[in-house]
Amino acid sequence: MANIHLENVTKHFGRVTALQSINLEIHHGEFFCVLGPPGAGKTTLLRLIVGLEKPDEGNIYIDGERVNEVHPRDRDIAMIFQNLALYPDKTVFDNIAFPLRERKMPPEQIRTKVTQVARTLHIEHLLERKPGKLSGGERQRVAIARALVRTPRAYLMDEPLANLDALLRLEMRIELKRLQEDLHETLVYVTSDQVEAMSMADRIAVIYKGVLQQCDTPDNVYNLPANRLVATIVGSPPMNFLACKVQRTNGQLNLVHSGFGFQVVGADHPLWDCLCRALPTVQEVLVGVRPEDIKLYPDQPTHLIAFPARVAVTEPLGAETIVDVQLGRDIIKVITPPTEYFSEKQDVWVAFDMAKVHVMDAQTGARIYTTGAPGQLQCMLPGVCT
Amino acid sequence: MQKTPTWQRVVRYALVIIVVGMFTFPTYWMVTMAFKPKVEWSTAHGTIYWVPKNPTLENFDTVLTEYRGQFFRANQSSALPSIRSSIIVSIGGTLFALLIGTLAAYGLSRFSVDTGDLPWYVALGRLALLILVLLPFMVLWAWLGIIRYWYGILTFTILGIAADQLIGRLLGRIYRGPTGSLAFSILQLRMFPPMAIVIPVMIMWSAFKLIDTWYGLVAVYGVVTFPFVVWLMKSFFDEIPRELDEAAIVDGASNWGAFLKVVLPLAKGGLASTALFVFILNWSDFLIALLLTTRDWPTIPVFLNSLVSSEIGAQHGPKAALGLLAVIPPVVFGILIQRYLVRGLTFGAIKR
Amino acid sequence: MASVRLENLRKEFGTVVAVKELNLHFPDGKFAAILGPSGCGKTTTMNMIAGLETPTRGSIYFDDRRMNDVPPGKRDVGFVFQNYAIFTHMTIAENIGFGLKIRGVDETTIRREVGKIAELLELTDMLNVNAGRLSVNDMQKVALGRSMIVKPRIFLLDEPFSNLDAAFRAFMRGELKRIQREIGQTMIYVTHDQVEAMSMADLIAVMDFGVLQQFGSPDEIYNQPVNTFVANFIGSPNMNFVACSFRSEDGKGYLVQKRGSARIAIDERRRQLLEHHSGNQDLIWGIRPEHMTLHAEPISSDCIQAVVRFLEPLGPKTVVHLRLGEEHIKVIAPPSYREAAGVVQWIQINPQYLHVFDAKTGVVIR
Repeated sequence: MANIHLENVTKHFGRVTALQSINLEIHHGEFFCVLGPPGAGKTTLLRLIVGLEKPDEGNIYIDGERVNEVHPRDRDIAMIFQNLALYPDKTVFDNIAFPLRERKMPPEQIRTKVTQVARTLHIEHLLERKPGKLSGGERQRVAIARALVRTPRAYLMDEPLANLDALLRLEMRIELKRLQEDLHETLVYVTSDQVEAMSMADRIAVIYKGVLQQCDTPDNVYNLPANRLVATIVGSPPMNFLACKVQRTNGQLNLVHSGFGFQVVGADHPLWDCLCRALPTVQEVLVGVRPEDIKLYPDQPTHLIAFPARVAVTEPLGAETIVDVQLGRDIIKVITPPTEYFSEKQDVWVAFDMAKVHVMDAQTGARIYTTGAPGQLQCMLPGVCT
Repeated sequence: MQKTPTWQRVVRYALVIIVVGMFTFPTYWMVTMAFKPKVEWSTAHGTIYWVPKNPTLENFDTVLTEYRGQFFRANQSSALPSIRSSIIVSIGGTLFALLIGTLAAYGLSRFSVDTGDLPWYVALGRLALLILVLLPFMVLWAWLGIIRYWYGILTFTILGIAADQLIGRLLGRIYRGPTGSLAFSILQLRMFPPMAIVIPVMIMWSAFKLIDTWYGLVAVYGVVTFPFVVWLMKSFFDEIPRELDEAAIVDGASNWGAFLKVVLPLAKGGLASTALFVFILNWSDFLIALLLTTRDWPTIPVFLNSLVSSEIGAQHGPKAALGLLAVIPPVVFGILIQRYLVRGLTFGAIKR
Repeated sequence: MASVRLENLRKEFGTVVAVKELNLHFPDGKFAAILGPSGCGKTTTMNMIAGLETPTRGSIYFDDRRMNDVPPGKRDVGFVFQNYAIFTHMTIAENIGFGLKIRGVDETTIRREVGKIAELLELTDMLNVNAGRLSVNDMQKVALGRSMIVKPRIFLLDEPFSNLDAAFRAFMRGELKRIQREIGQTMIYVTHDQVEAMSMADLIAVMDFGVLQQFGSPDEIYNQPVNTFVANFIGSPNMNFVACSFRSEDGKGYLVQKRGSARIAIDERRRQLLEHHSGNQDLIWGIRPEHMTLHAEPISSDCIQAVVRFLEPLGPKTVVHLRLGEEHIKVIAPPSYREAAGVVQWIQINPQYLHVFDAKTGVVIR
């Protein structure tokens, strides 16, 4: 039962800024993911919430109470560490019982609670073993059990699945999600795996180099990324970015790339407004298209405008094939169904899904505009307008 | 696999035998000598007895009960009081060093204080140390008239500080440890030759009336072995993932609780091996005990020393007997904690 | 450049058998991957090829030369490890050229070769940057360049991308494949990540518990797995497995679910095959999540009924988790899929992609 609120939180380690003016509001009962590459400051964020670090600036509130100076033991928040931090010399039972013993709970009550939690996590047969004798998944469950047993106000998890192998990770992911739905408690989950974040979270906060880039639902983070970094971190393979020159000729606005061109039709087009009035000095933009929003054709399609390109390599993944295509001077990645076969060095035609094109500022990376069905752009073949 | 040539194997085994001999012969000689009668251990007759001809317990008898002779310092006729003294001060010194050293080591391992101001504290600390060590010398020498003028003392101190800073900086450049300068400056405490600090300590101790008391020796032993405890225990604590104590704290333990209930049990093996090491250091110390004891609390090494004098000659037999007795406590201690020693060695394996 | 052939290769560590009678042939100039979970013997196999471990039995051939007794330094293999050993006090150019320098190659040649490699790796602009200031991502590129420059006969890569961040890993997969194509070098790539193996390799050797499970092209491994281990290990989300038994009614064959009531009709060829299979009451059918479609109404008589448990939206697609009898299955749906938990759905299975395995041995029946 906890709302967690971070207000302008900044944390330095020596000369390194780990977190820079973070503002976050984590709601009660929410599955909240913090996503970012290694070293982004995600773990520091968790440690600040749980109280293992103190913020240099800003405030942390739990249920409206300022907790900057509160000792971790009094915050009543459970944390699962990346390496799980099971006590190696204690049995599974003693590991799970530890938080209860610290709270001076009577032994009979501890026994019932531990057994009960062990049963929900299917580890009741392991209670007398030591962590060293358990498999990765079993240890994972013990760590979760140790957090569950004390029924804290919120759960924090620091890449708890990072050390498991791929299949087990899939399994545990599902189990965690189900667990959270049953508990309906606040869960802050730190991960560098965008699949985990996308599949489990109610909301995702994307952090890069200590700066909060975006905090939104998975859907919005994926479809309306705030900037280039978010679009790179979320989605695999990441979004393709193509540097285009902005040409403003009388009555015409064109985005020109070495392999293709876009025409912004009509002075009432929102992008026209952005690029000519709001940001009149922008000379270059990045056109971002997700690999699944691009289609490849072996022959020039007749019903839409496509651009000539050439296959560099193909990466078959089974369920889909990623084709690396040389388009102009850039290489872009395209997801194709395995039924379509492309060979290396093959000449192909590239067509974008014009309702899903993002335009980003080339300098700052911030998203300027995303096309939708009504605000599409018009395609031009390369060299049509120079 | 190729066969090693015969001559190579011969050389190899010969080397092994020589090295083993170098290690075992002194022990052999001491053990046998302890059981030789005076005729056999004495060199007066010009005969060397490689093995005792008439084994006897006479030497033990002499050293423990009957021996009456001239003593250099220890006014005792039996070694029993010095054995008691050794046991008390060694154990006391070890416990003292373990207590403060383990806490310091945990602090150094966990709460890294290596921020901007630290070099200053280190420099100041070292300075204070240096003055503490040098000042008694200065006072003494000034008092004895070796350095006549007080400003001479000042010059000497400043020179000393400069030298210390220079050495510190050079060492700091070579050594870059995980917790950096603070931990290293603790080890630096032990880089003085003990001879250099034991005189000032003696002066201080006589002022505090601590000479020839068990607690005076315990205090010195504790302080002298403290750096070793810090360094050994720090490396053991470093092996224990930090997340373990943090998990305990998050789970509701206090900082002390996390240390006592989670970290210390895991460092048992390390603690045991450190204790043994420090105990042996204290047990075998001669110099400090020689200078800080007179009548009541000389330790075994001091007593051993008194068995050689111009009047009684060298009492090799009784010496060997007492030496043999002196080996017993560390060996017993070692056997008692062996279980933990093995764990201490395989410590790295229990990570996660 | 050389081909690599392993003959009855076996490695024991004390009583543990790390690699069991391994027979493999990696052809010259191909990109091969050894794939398996941790502890499957893949790194041991690679260490034996490199000469860092001596095989207990069996032989290693480079082309036709037996290499068992050739010390690692003389085998002429290039390495790239997970922890790239970059000399941080040198520039990128010095790092890449290091191998040639210690071989006493003259300066102009080194400069020319470094230039070539840098171009291939797209590091040309950074050649004079001090390597200590590189990002983790670029360091791995430099490490790659440093091994490439000495033109080893065989290139061994041990999970070189595992320290890189996800976006760069996806980029490097394409890059490494392109580089391999350009230099035509024999590469053996060890990984536990099936995506890396599938996307880059021409040939994949799947290992488990020291035993080779399957060796073939990514397409074969994915579409014709020989047993449940391979089927389960390759593909994300993994294949659905449902315990079933064979039943024959009116000359038609069916697979009947054991812990539920799902019933799948099978074709005549499969029916005959299973009819004569001795363990046909103890089977598993498996199908990949993308080979099924979800419908609100039964669109054909072959549809099976399941109940939605929850969704995993992944962006370009959504994984739908359903309850099929007492078993749990996953189906890939388009991102627009929005059914709530508890909704009944009809699953249409594409029979072409249905696999049937023997439940006892896990071996495919086909």
